[in-house]
Amino acid sequence: MELQPIYIQILALAIFAIGLMVAISRRNLFFVLMGIELALNAVNLSFIGFAKTLPADMSVAGQIVPLFAIAVAAAEACVGFAMVIMLFRKKESIDADNYSNMKG
Amino acid sequence: MLLHLLVIAPFIAAVLMVATSKEDPKSSSRLAILFGIAFVVMSVMLIAAGNQATNPIEWFRIPGTKGPVYYYLYSHGLGAWMVFLSCALSLVAIITARNTTCKNFRNFVIGIFSLMGAMNGTFLAADAVLFFFFFEAMVIPAAVLIAGFGGKDRTKAAMTFAIYTLVGSAPMMVALWYLLTISDNSLLLSLAVALQSLPEGTQTAILVSFLLAFLVKTPIFPFHGWQAITYAEAPAPLSAILTGAMSKAGVFGFIAWILPIFPLSMSVVNAMMWLGLVTAVYGALMALRANDGKKLLAFSSMSHLGLAVAGVFSLSEAMLPAVLVLLVAHGISAGAQFFLMGIAERMAGTRELDKLGGLASKNPVFSTLFGAAGIMSLAVPGTAGFIGEFTVLLSLWDMGPFPALVMGFSMILSAAYMLRFIQKVIFGKQAREYEEGTRTSGLEGAAIGVMTILLLVFGFHPAFITNSLHLFDEQAVEQMADVNKAEGEETATETMEMDEDETPIQAMSAEELAQLDSTLAANGFSEEERKSLIAQISGVESQLAASDSVDVIQAAADSAVMLADSAKTNVEALNKEASND
Amino acid sequence: MTNLPLWLIPLFPLIATILLGTIAVTSSPSKKGPAEGIIGALAVMFPAVSFAVVVVLAYSMPEAGIRETLCNWIDIPMFKADIGFLFDGLSRIMLLFVTGIGTLITLYSVGYMHGDRGFARFFAYINLFLFSMIVLVLSDSLLLTFLGWEGVGLCSYLLIGFWNHDINNCKAANKAFIVNRVGDIGFILGMLCLVTIGGAGILNYDALNQFIQMIVSGNHVDIVVPALSVAGVLFFIGCTGKSAQIPLLTWLPDAMAGPTPVSALIHAATMVTSGVYLLARLGSMFVLLPVVLDIITVVGMLTAFWAAMAGLFQNDIKKVLAYSTISQLGYMFMAAGVCAFDASIFHVFTHAFFKAALFLGAGAVIHALAGEQDMRKMGGMIKKTPVTACVMIFAFLAIIGFPGFAGFWSKDLILEKLYVSGPMGPYFYGVGLLTAVITAIYMGRLIILTFFGEYRGSKESEEHIHEAPAAMLLPMGVLAFGAVFSGYLWADSMGITFFSDTLAPVVGSAQAYNALNHIHGHVNPMVFAGLGTLAAVLGMFIAYKIYGKARVPAAKGSSAPQGFKATWTFFFDSVHKYCGIIPVSVLAWICDVVVDKILQAIQWTLGAIATILGDGAASFQVRKVRLQVAFSIAGVAALVIVVLLTGGIV
Repeated sequence: MELQPIYIQILALAIFAIGLMVAISRRNLFFVLMGIELALNAVNLSFIGFAKTLPADMSVAGQIVPLFAIAVAAAEACVGFAMVIMLFRKKESIDADNYSNMKG
Repeated sequence: MLLHLLVIAPFIAAVLMVATSKEDPKSSSRLAILFGIAFVVMSVMLIAAGNQATNPIEWFRIPGTKGPVYYYLYSHGLGAWMVFLSCALSLVAIITARNTTCKNFRNFVIGIFSLMGAMNGTFLAADAVLFFFFFEAMVIPAAVLIAGFGGKDRTKAAMTFAIYTLVGSAPMMVALWYLLTISDNSLLLSLAVALQSLPEGTQTAILVSFLLAFLVKTPIFPFHGWQAITYAEAPAPLSAILTGAMSKAGVFGFIAWILPIFPLSMSVVNAMMWLGLVTAVYGALMALRANDGKKLLAFSSMSHLGLAVAGVFSLSEAMLPAVLVLLVAHGISAGAQFFLMGIAERMAGTRELDKLGGLASKNPVFSTLFGAAGIMSLAVPGTAGFIGEFTVLLSLWDMGPFPALVMGFSMILSAAYMLRFIQKVIFGKQAREYEEGTRTSGLEGAAIGVMTILLLVFGFHPAFITNSLHLFDEQAVEQMADVNKAEGEETATETMEMDEDETPIQAMSAEELAQLDSTLAANGFSEEERKSLIAQISGVESQLAASDSVDVIQAAADSAVMLADSAKTNVEALNKEASND
Repeated sequence: MTNLPLWLIPLFPLIATILLGTIAVTSSPSKKGPAEGIIGALAVMFPAVSFAVVVVLAYSMPEAGIRETLCNWIDIPMFKADIGFLFDGLSRIMLLFVTGIGTLITLYSVGYMHGDRGFARFFAYINLFLFSMIVLVLSDSLLLTFLGWEGVGLCSYLLIGFWNHDINNCKAANKAFIVNRVGDIGFILGMLCLVTIGGAGILNYDALNQFIQMIVSGNHVDIVVPALSVAGVLFFIGCTGKSAQIPLLTWLPDAMAGPTPVSALIHAATMVTSGVYLLARLGSMFVLLPVVLDIITVVGMLTAFWAAMAGLFQNDIKKVLAYSTISQLGYMFMAAGVCAFDASIFHVFTHAFFKAALFLGAGAVIHALAGEQDMRKMGGMIKKTPVTACVMIFAFLAIIGFPGFAGFWSKDLILEKLYVSGPMGPYFYGVGLLTAVITAIYMGRLIILTFFGEYRGSKESEEHIHEAPAAMLLPMGVLAFGAVFSGYLWADSMGITFFSDTLAPVVGSAQAYNALNHIHGHVNPMVFAGLGTLAAVLGMFIAYKIYGKARVPAAKGSSAPQGFKATWTFFFDSVHKYCGIIPVSVLAWICDVVVDKILQAIQWTLGAIATILGDGAASFQVRKVRLQVAFSIAGVAALVIVVLLTGGIV
């Protein structure tokens, strides 16, 4: 049985929802970041899924964009974790609720 | 090429400066001074080269607008001289700052170079969006430098400066965007054409929002709140650049953007002229009472720029050269005064007038320069300031004796506060004991000395400045307008159908050139001037022919014409209006 | 010989300025100044060469004068001006005594300024002054004259405040410059007024004269007179500033704060007479303007009388001379006011000699007394400094118009012209004669207090009294010679009219035009000579009666000029204070304290509103980061739903 594009979208939606829930509900900053990563990957998956619906010669664009997104996500993860480490050094805590300095 | 270099190279220089040592000002200052000299040389070349333009490069499109934004630089006499001011003052700022800011000198230079690039961009941009981009970009390095290197109240000063100027130009941004939605592109001519199609109320609203940005930047009377504290708290070399070059962006905006784009009514012109005059008197009166040396200079600058704005809105024939000479003279003399005040502060440790004094006997070289710069800012005949103020007075006299009288009053006041300033700082006895800081170095003295000599040279031979405007001369403009007339009419009526196959601009035929030549000769141009003028015109045209976008060609050819031409039509309209009354 | 270019004349002082200025600046950090001998030689040589050039040119000048356009100066739409020079009868006379007396006084200064720390700087300023003054009188257009006009004002400022460690000197200098600035603005506006009438070219003197001729010959006088009158009044305001006439006279007494040679050169002989020069130069214009002429005459008359009265009460030797200068300038203005331009220039000429001699003599006295300027502490100086005393007495006889001396010829000429000038003439004449009596009284007082009687200073200072060095005596001698004999260039009663002949090509036609309309009758000049002599003798007699025997009150405090506090300018300092300084201060106070504060308050209010709004918005922000993320996602979702439902906004 051939893989239907809709299944891919459903999977992507599920992963996105999980990522979102993790990002919102966990207090540990690492989990928050990982949740965001997960959501990003879900978007990549969705891209590829849509690309599959197109004829082969036009689907290339849909497959390239996730590559960019992965590169950006890697960079983002780098910076994000570095920031978390710095924050930890400063406050000895990685609980997101402890960081409310930005509140005016 | 020169244009690109002047705008982009400062940013590259700023990046390159990162490679130098942060701790040791000696090594970094050498590189910085070399860069600075290179820029000054380039700006002089730009002035000597006369009018020129780069090929317009499509930059980006703003959503909702019809045409693209071009990266398109264009140099005319006015802009070229302003670029000269920004480059020259930056160089002297680097030289004097070396002795004042030892720590982090490198970062200071980086800021100065970015500021210079932004200023050059402002003065050379031919595209309204590009102009606005640089106009706003100037604020950022300036504010950062104030916050980083300023005096006691530096944070407050930087905030006031940034917020005031950015908020002031915010309405202009909205108005510009609105204009762009109806015009073909963001070049001068299309904007002017687009504006004509709007109802009168909208036109006024757009005019006011444009005016506001320039009024704040200059600054003109009710909008000067940021100026005194900013100039006082900024490091002296930066204050010199701010007043000598950046504040000129306001006046430049009036001349290069307001006058060509907007059909001004008599009431607006009168109001602006009186605002300028009020600023001149108000600044002078404030300077009379100021007790902080840099604040005094700030108000003196305000007074002089008020005169310049009043001159611009006298809209007489002599306005453009008069205001240009005034601006150049003020840029150099006010710049020199700020540099010297910075040195005085460095030596005596204070800038309060009551605590200064007696520097004449302690440091004669400094005091000679200080006195000379002060007197030259008084518009004594034989200095460039006199040529500027006299010709501006002439323009104002054209509007009636009363404006001229007010200007005369402000000139008397300027003598009063400037002499008081000189007396308090360098004459008399030392007001208190203090440990003396670094004295004037030879390089500083020489740099400021050259500035005063320049003022004398321009005072006896203002043709150096006024000749660079000859392309705006009436005859030349009319000639060019004739050549472009056919296309000009078409753009007014059928703006969109332009990219059909008709040739947009006929290159000037040989016989037309000969006719132009003889007209010029009749008007007393010298052999070389004529040759260079014609070479420029044909150069501009061949370049235009090479370019492929019709709209751009149109605007390129016409922006030169428009600048002076629409100012002229304004005057004519005013005359008619006046005679109707 | 004859084709020396005119620009040589101002060139030499300019070179000297640059040279000496460079020396002054470069040598300033060193402990020991540059050699005074070399500096002095340089400083004297250049004006001397300039004087020589003037003499050569003066000798070979054609009747119509020499005109020379050097180069273009300003060239913009609406306005073109050239740098050009005009050497004619009027500028010849002026240049001869400007460069001649200038050279002499420079020589004198070499002795006077000996040992001063700013030796080179002083001579740089003096040469700059000579350059400006030469440009003033040599230029062929009003604009270039204005360059010299402000240039001499600037040099006057620099030299009054030369000893700048004393703040009072600086204040006096500031006052001089600012008061002059008021006049200068009048000058500028006058030029603009002329430009409006006749275009930019009219600023050239020849063009102006042609323009006037055209008007007169075309009978258009009535049309242009109103506009020309405005220009005339504005120019006259310029003249009152530079020549210290009412109401702008207060700066000159204070200007005595400068070194004495400066007072002699700038504030007596040359600069202050440039107002008279301008009136004569524009004579052809002024004759058309009877109203302006009347103003000039009345102002001159009041000034002459007023300053003479003030001179009676001064104790500072230089201030007496300052007031006497103002008074004499009043005479010149009166003469110009009745269109006797040649007589007024003649008085400028003779006055330059005797007043310079008086100042130099006073300088020698001050030098001998080591800086003492108070006449109450002098006395009996004739025994100690006989040469100086002789010079002073000759000059004294000249200024009071003693028969045979220079002032006699010129002053009587002016009085005579006043008498015949019109219906008001006799009254003008009466005041002029009365002023002459007062002049003799206060000058007599000066001579008696300084040179006769007993020495009233301290004993130890008496021993140091010495005659001035030769470098100072020589110029004094030459000037005294001029004070005695310069009057014989125009001795009407002896049939010598050399002076009026030289001026005739310049001011002759103007005066002829005036004579046609106004002057009537002829009177015997011997009567005037007799009356003038009587006035001088009477004044001397009164002075002798009052001051010859009387005990002089002891000096209280210092009489040195004190910035704004000049004594006995009558109420003009107060007028300036209440009409000028205080209103401006009040205005400045209003700007600073009221307007600026209001603007700041508005700014603050706007800022505060923004802050309050920001605080309000911030209160929506929740504390938990996770909640914020949830909210923002909800916001995005809401936006997407809106877009989907409405099909987009655009």
